[in-house]
Amino acid sequence: MIDPFTPFAAPFLGRPLILLVALAVAAGTVGVLVHLRRLEFSTDGLTHAVFPGLAIGAALGGAAGLLPGAIGAGLVAAVVLALISRRGQPRDTAVAIVLTTFFSFGVVLVSLSRGGGSISDFFFGRLLTITWGDLGVALTLIAVAVVLIVATARQQLFAAFDAAGARRAGLPVLALEVIGTVAIALVVVAASATVGTLLALAVVIVPAAAARALTRSLPAAIAISIAFGALTGWAGLWLVVQLATAGVDAAPGATVALTMIAGYLLALGAGALRRRTALRAAPTPERERVAR
Amino acid sequence: MLDLPALDFPALDFFGLAMLEVVLAGALAGLVGVLVVLRERAFFTMSLTHATFPGAVAAAILGVSIPLGAAVAAVALIAVAVGIGRIRSQGPAVASGIMLTAGFALGAFLQSVAPLAIDVESFLVGQVLAVTGADLALTAAVLAVALAVWALAGRHLIFSSVDEAGYRRAGLAPWLPETLALATIAGTVVAIMPVVGAILGVALIVAPAAAARLLVRDWRWMLVLAPAIGIASGVLGLWASRWLDLAAGGAIALVAALAYGLAWLVHALRARPAVGDAVPAAVRIPAGHATIETRSP
Amino acid sequence: MNQQPEPVVEMRDAAFGYGGAPVLTGVSFTVQPGEAVALIGPNGAGKSTLLAGILGLAQHTASVFRVPGGTGEIGTLPQSSSIDPAFPVTLEQVVSMGRTPRLGLRWPGAHDRRIVAEALETVGLAAQRRTRFGDLSGGQRQRGLLARALASEPRLLLLDEPFNGLDRGARDDLVETIRTLKARGVALLITTHDLELARAVCDRTLLVNQRQVAFDETGCVLTLEQVEAAFASHVMEIDGHTLATTEHHASEHAGHHHPLADD
Repeated sequence: MIDPFTPFAAPFLGRPLILLVALAVAAGTVGVLVHLRRLEFSTDGLTHAVFPGLAIGAALGGAAGLLPGAIGAGLVAAVVLALISRRGQPRDTAVAIVLTTFFSFGVVLVSLSRGGGSISDFFFGRLLTITWGDLGVALTLIAVAVVLIVATARQQLFAAFDAAGARRAGLPVLALEVIGTVAIALVVVAASATVGTLLALAVVIVPAAAARALTRSLPAAIAISIAFGALTGWAGLWLVVQLATAGVDAAPGATVALTMIAGYLLALGAGALRRRTALRAAPTPERERVAR
Repeated sequence: MLDLPALDFPALDFFGLAMLEVVLAGALAGLVGVLVVLRERAFFTMSLTHATFPGAVAAAILGVSIPLGAAVAAVALIAVAVGIGRIRSQGPAVASGIMLTAGFALGAFLQSVAPLAIDVESFLVGQVLAVTGADLALTAAVLAVALAVWALAGRHLIFSSVDEAGYRRAGLAPWLPETLALATIAGTVVAIMPVVGAILGVALIVAPAAAARLLVRDWRWMLVLAPAIGIASGVLGLWASRWLDLAAGGAIALVAALAYGLAWLVHALRARPAVGDAVPAAVRIPAGHATIETRSP
Repeated sequence: MNQQPEPVVEMRDAAFGYGGAPVLTGVSFTVQPGEAVALIGPNGAGKSTLLAGILGLAQHTASVFRVPGGTGEIGTLPQSSSIDPAFPVTLEQVVSMGRTPRLGLRWPGAHDRRIVAEALETVGLAAQRRTRFGDLSGGQRQRGLLARALASEPRLLLLDEPFNGLDRGARDDLVETIRTLKARGVALLITTHDLELARAVCDRTLLVNQRQVAFDETGCVLTLEQVEAAFASHVMEIDGHTLATTEHHASEHAGHHHPLADD
């Protein structure tokens, strides 16, 4: 097939590939946690909540201020999300309010600072223009997040399946929730500040969902998520290069995300096919209701 | 409230038109927000805003009506999401997440391939100051539909939101109010999105209704209070954006969030003396009564 | 035995399940208008499945299967309700929801409002009608949901463990309400663990444990042997006496009494 090294030997393609592989590892750990605990909306909330941090960081320190700002906002939003989910309002509404509040704060900040950061950059990132410095920081953040999840994996699983039981067993459920949300936030920050919000969301949500369609076992789901993330990331980048040589200037982040969605749909199809062959039709008794 | 000489569209300047639009959009978002908050469909709404994006871009490329394209894309992606949500290993949260990512990615991809289409920033935060008469008419029409839906099917919507199992046991089909609710939400998103943007759209739909829910004990008051808060947020936010020179979308969303924060404060202060809303524990049956306790041997 | 009026519920050789193997088999019984039938059996006996089957929410097979079929003709009181206590609805609104099946898209008129008021009166909660549902006590919520079931003017009421978690006074109120409903000609099917209450309000009793054990006048069904057969190998307490059936006992009684149940 295609030699994976020739196009990616160029640093502007090699660096994104390294980052996407690292994000695939995050997808196998943080993404699986998100899937098990149904935190998809919180993840979306975090991606948007990072925005004011980027705006403040850019206003204070230029390009160098982006990551510290994003980390600060991400951590604040993670703690707020973990805390607010325990209050009376349903989780769904709470996340929506945190999300829109943080984001609109960012929009107002950008409009105040006049051309500080670009909203488009924030959403679609600069996948092909990241520097070695960006890459180093992003890899560190992802590593911290993965270590946080792996270190608490057993307890996280218990709390994910049976929060009440975990509380009765004496596990610090709130602390676990904060740790989990912070780990998600770190991955989201690492991805948002480099490859953009869109790809951050796609990496956290899509591979784990695809893995769940294919397998029920947790270790297999983790392995498949990582492989899926790495494979679709590589295929997406390759597609970007092919499109570019064909003269189509497609957004790299969006192309990679769409590749992941296509892979997900394939996984769904494969999963459905396997279930159909395994399914035995149960006889259904006829129903007769005497209406009067 | 605002200095409208007459409701004659051409006589209004762009700020007057924007004012009229935020009043209509605030009322519509408040009314439909009650549905979103009581049925816990905020994530669905958020995903829906993103799902309309590729449709809007495609419509702009093809040169057809943008709300029409947005509606078509929304319906298509809802169908996919409903299908994914029914798969046991995936569920509704995954379905919303996929709908959001797919819509967003597809829109961004189309946009990058045909750069002349529409502005991504205006998709996200809206261009309320560039509102047209057609936008106003669409918002007003959907507002009328939302009012009709509440008037005719309100008790069905509430019954199935409060107690879906009870609704089914009463011999009624829960998918009917569910479909009606999703269609109303989708129509609202399509109508107000081009004007107020995705993020502001969600803020305007969720925050006023959530604030109203904290303040009242009867859902009918939510239908009064939520549109009122929505209109007030729109008007105040628009004024603030004019006088402080801020992004209009962001300012309106922040005022709505502020209203929610105030409602939360009022709620917290009111709940304090009453030791919260703790459910009284069921009184146990006194001993010595004739009962059968089945335990494992 | 008594075949004077047309029964509200009539089934013969009914089996209930959810698509796989049936959960409950061999069910044959009737409920007459104005009659209360107790449905008794251990946990997992298939009581809830039977109720779901009557509502059309579980599948059934039967040689005769007659239940009220019109919307609103069956009212239910679930064992536990999933209503969020923070949901902004008043008691009166919850009760008027019971009227929804009869209304369709029509607005409620004076007649409907009177029925809702009567339902609240019947359960003794007329004074609390403007209270938020979540602010009521457990027993009041239970009665509120009963009023909701009454608001559809049902011919048949299904009460699933209605006495659970009620204190003495609340139970006596509920017994009184059930008597009132019987006098009005409503047919009731009541699941309960409480034999004394079954004797107090139910004319006949249906005893089940994955299959029908017995169906007859309450006094005849609720004998020590019959109940033991249904609750085989479980520790139990009857009329204040605790008795522990041994495995030996249980199998012996089960062998003796199952054939009796088949008629």
